[in-house]
Amino acid sequence: MRPRRIALNTAALAVLAVMIFPVYWMVVTSFKSATDIQSETPTLWPAHPTIEHFATAVGADGFWTFWRNSLIVTGGAVLIALVVSLLAAFAVARMRWKGRGPFIVAVFAAQMAPWEALLVPMFIIARDSDLLDSLAMLTGVYFTITMPFTIVTLRGFLAAIPVEIEEAALVDGCTRSAAFRRVIFPLLAPGLMATSLFGFITAWNEFAFVNVLIIKDQDRRTLPVWLSSFRDVFGADWGATMAAATLFALPVLIVFLFLQRRVGTGMVAGAVKG
Amino acid sequence: MPTVHAPTREAGADHRPATPPVIRAGGRRISRAWPYLLIAPAVAGGVFLLLYPLLRAALISFQHFRMGELIRGGAAFIGLDNYRELLAAGEFWAVVLRTFVWTAINVVLIVGISTGIALMLVRLGRRMRTALMSVLALVWATPIIAATTVFQWLFQSRLGIVNWLLVRVGFDSFEGYSWFANGTTMFGVLVVLVVWQSVPFAALTLYAGLTTIPVELYESARLDGAGGWQVFRQITFPILRPMFALITSLEVIWVFKCFPQIWVLSQGGPDGATTTLPVYAFKIARALHRYDLGSAVAILTVVILTVALVGNLRRMLKQEGADT
Amino acid sequence: MTAGVGACGSGESSDGAPTGAGPTKLTVWIMDGSVTDELLEQFETEYESAHEDVDLDIQIQAWDGIGERVTAALASTDAPDVIEVGNTQVAQYSSSGGVKDLTDKIADLGGTDWIPGLAQPGNIDGRQYGIPWYAANRVVIYNKDLFAKAGIDSPPKTREEWLADTAKLNTGGDQGIYLTGQTWYVLAGFIWDEGGDLAVKDGDRWKGALDTPQALAGMDFYAKLQALGKGPKDADEANPPQHEVFAKGKVAQMISVPGGAARVLEVEPGMKDKMGFFPIPGKTADKPGAVFTGGSDLIIPEASRHQDAAYEVVKALTGEKFQSDLAKAMSFVPNRTSLAHVLDSNEGTAAMAAGAANGRATPNTPNWAAVEATQVVKQYMTAVLTGGDPAAEARKTSEAITSTLNNGS
Repeated sequence: MRPRRIALNTAALAVLAVMIFPVYWMVVTSFKSATDIQSETPTLWPAHPTIEHFATAVGADGFWTFWRNSLIVTGGAVLIALVVSLLAAFAVARMRWKGRGPFIVAVFAAQMAPWEALLVPMFIIARDSDLLDSLAMLTGVYFTITMPFTIVTLRGFLAAIPVEIEEAALVDGCTRSAAFRRVIFPLLAPGLMATSLFGFITAWNEFAFVNVLIIKDQDRRTLPVWLSSFRDVFGADWGATMAAATLFALPVLIVFLFLQRRVGTGMVAGAVKG
Repeated sequence: MPTVHAPTREAGADHRPATPPVIRAGGRRISRAWPYLLIAPAVAGGVFLLLYPLLRAALISFQHFRMGELIRGGAAFIGLDNYRELLAAGEFWAVVLRTFVWTAINVVLIVGISTGIALMLVRLGRRMRTALMSVLALVWATPIIAATTVFQWLFQSRLGIVNWLLVRVGFDSFEGYSWFANGTTMFGVLVVLVVWQSVPFAALTLYAGLTTIPVELYESARLDGAGGWQVFRQITFPILRPMFALITSLEVIWVFKCFPQIWVLSQGGPDGATTTLPVYAFKIARALHRYDLGSAVAILTVVILTVALVGNLRRMLKQEGADT
Repeated sequence: MTAGVGACGSGESSDGAPTGAGPTKLTVWIMDGSVTDELLEQFETEYESAHEDVDLDIQIQAWDGIGERVTAALASTDAPDVIEVGNTQVAQYSSSGGVKDLTDKIADLGGTDWIPGLAQPGNIDGRQYGIPWYAANRVVIYNKDLFAKAGIDSPPKTREEWLADTAKLNTGGDQGIYLTGQTWYVLAGFIWDEGGDLAVKDGDRWKGALDTPQALAGMDFYAKLQALGKGPKDADEANPPQHEVFAKGKVAQMISVPGGAARVLEVEPGMKDKMGFFPIPGKTADKPGAVFTGGSDLIIPEASRHQDAAYEVVKALTGEKFQSDLAKAMSFVPNRTSLAHVLDSNEGTAAMAAGAANGRATPNTPNWAAVEATQVVKQYMTAVLTGGDPAAEARKTSEAITSTLNNGS
């Protein structure tokens, strides 16, 4: 069995290296000096580490404003989606009612929504309701984009929690909401985190809607828009661009590292019930 | 090998409880209004920010709706003219075909590679497994826009590391090669990007599924003399069939609709070689200001996806709605 | 059924008079690279001190995706008050119904001798929507040191000389010329020199014309020139910004508006006095090469809530004082012929003026903007430069142009 083991581990290492490389290269490039980046023979490690690219990126106009906007919009959308989806997921996973089947199918089908094609109708709706240039509208849109997947996943997590636990609590005299708060919610926490991470990533990335919903008030734009315009401005400066990309990825990676353990188990539980 | 089949069904059975258990506490029956109240916010959100815009898009697709109409209003109803124009143009069909090829290539690669990695994960030692899982999750968490930017850098013609590596291992023709100038290579780069981004989710999910298969099943199969491939075909796959179906249909949807990666990297070019349906719809609307035609493309996209997944949806409805 | 779609709120409160509380905030969109930050700040300060009731918010816009943003702005209910739009795009917006008609202000703006290349595209059916702002055409900016090193003492006057000189300059680590593969304005000039065009009007219909022998000859010359340097074949001059490449001192020539020299100096002050200018050489020595007359107009959206105040800003930006400042700072051609003298002492603009005598415009149809947005011409160039069959690629692209020009908005 020994050579087999070695072969397996070698294969795993190869997969690991290939998967991690783009992320690694992004971070490493952002720390390399301009001459290292321009060098004909790239090095795997920055020979002359520097943080000047981060200074360039952070010093670019409006960086912190965009950062804050992104955080507000994304955080808001994820929170609303979690609450709304949890209610719906609970109804689906724990109750029988007429229309349940069609509702589930509708939620699944909602994932097929052609969002890029809804830019114009969404623009018209926002304009007619006086919601152009407002972060609230963006939040609402991102909430809707993330909701279907959130419901599907949360429902899986809920279904994985044995109903007897909840019944026992009810028998013990808890009210329904107390039972939910004290018994279900703690068990559901990993699931909530895994789902919110997914929602966070989706909303954090979005830029097409920003371009049509935020028009006059440029201080309400978000990071992805900034990252794409950053390339216009610093086209040749790959160090700065990679620093910008790293800064852009950072919040998600931090949230992720913070939640990693729970997300791991959460994904296992959620996925099985899919 | 009947011995292998019998327990399979049993094991598969408790994976998908089709209907929810109903909670009764002390004989109190839950008020009938409750479930509807609980889904009300979700339905409201969906109706206002998805269904309504979708209906608006459908309406626009039957109108003469261009830059002037967007600004001044007063769009005229022109029936099916937009659809007629679209279906008569060879370009639309080329885009549809390309979208199918794009989806097929990506989904096959994603599901295949993910299955391989998931099977590998089960067999790895604990430390190696944790390392690989962390890396997968890290890739999964890397924002699309950041990843897309990185791929531009990796495949740069002059200082990109990919060309450097290829030249180093002896492919001298890749010196200064422009990956983004040629339709086929651009398509290839996009496939690599999308597969790279999609594999982690699918692999981790499949791995999670694999861990639920009782070890005894494998052992008995081995005792029966089944080889690795047979074990996969006769035990693993049947048990995980629902999960494979779910992942495949999710990936089909995601890859089919994939937009930001393509738009940022190639804008559907060069020469339309990477224009899939969503990119096509966006291009028509944005570049030509033909919002009417763009909406028609979008509506047709929904129709195509629905048709492609109708079997899946129907099965779902049957399963979920068994006793409503 | 589409009630409300048209209710853009246009013209509801077109009067910009502040009603008591605080100054009116006016938003002005200026394109990236049009004006230096310094000049904009100076304008803002001066304008605000002269108009205490106005607070100017000048926003710099990137070219990428600008069509979409301007369209959304015109269709909104609270648009920016003044927008700079390229002269190849102004016709499209003007015909959309979302731009304020300023025909009765022409006299007040001194529009009797506006440059036709800017005034005409802003004029639809006799109504003036776009107000000319500035014009520029491309010249060759060269590195005097590298020219001296190669022993070239006078700039080339014909295409043959130009190719020969550039080949001579293209040695060692130096590039003869930095010409990116997708600089389509330059290609247009070469095609016009050959007697061809990008598209021609045939009765009511437009027809893409890149597949004519003249246009193919223009592309052929472009390819020869492009090969004498390391400009990427799959990018335009903004990616990476060519002035940054030129600033490194290893590039003998680049094709740019004269203002490109000012941007080189922003990156590398050491290039001062090392840059020279000459008009793009033509086929014969007696006539410089044809050039695309680029430039911008200013528009006031109907959806602006302060149209009168916005008009005052337009008047100041297009007036004599700012036009002179702008021409000097950016080496642009002012919006009217009577101001041409402010450029007399400027070497770069002298070369530009020589070329401007042979200035041309893109096909005069509102739909041309859509052709630009689809980037088919750029993709055609890359295809040919990377080994595609010119005739076949040109035919395909011409068909795409034909269909876009005849099917647009």
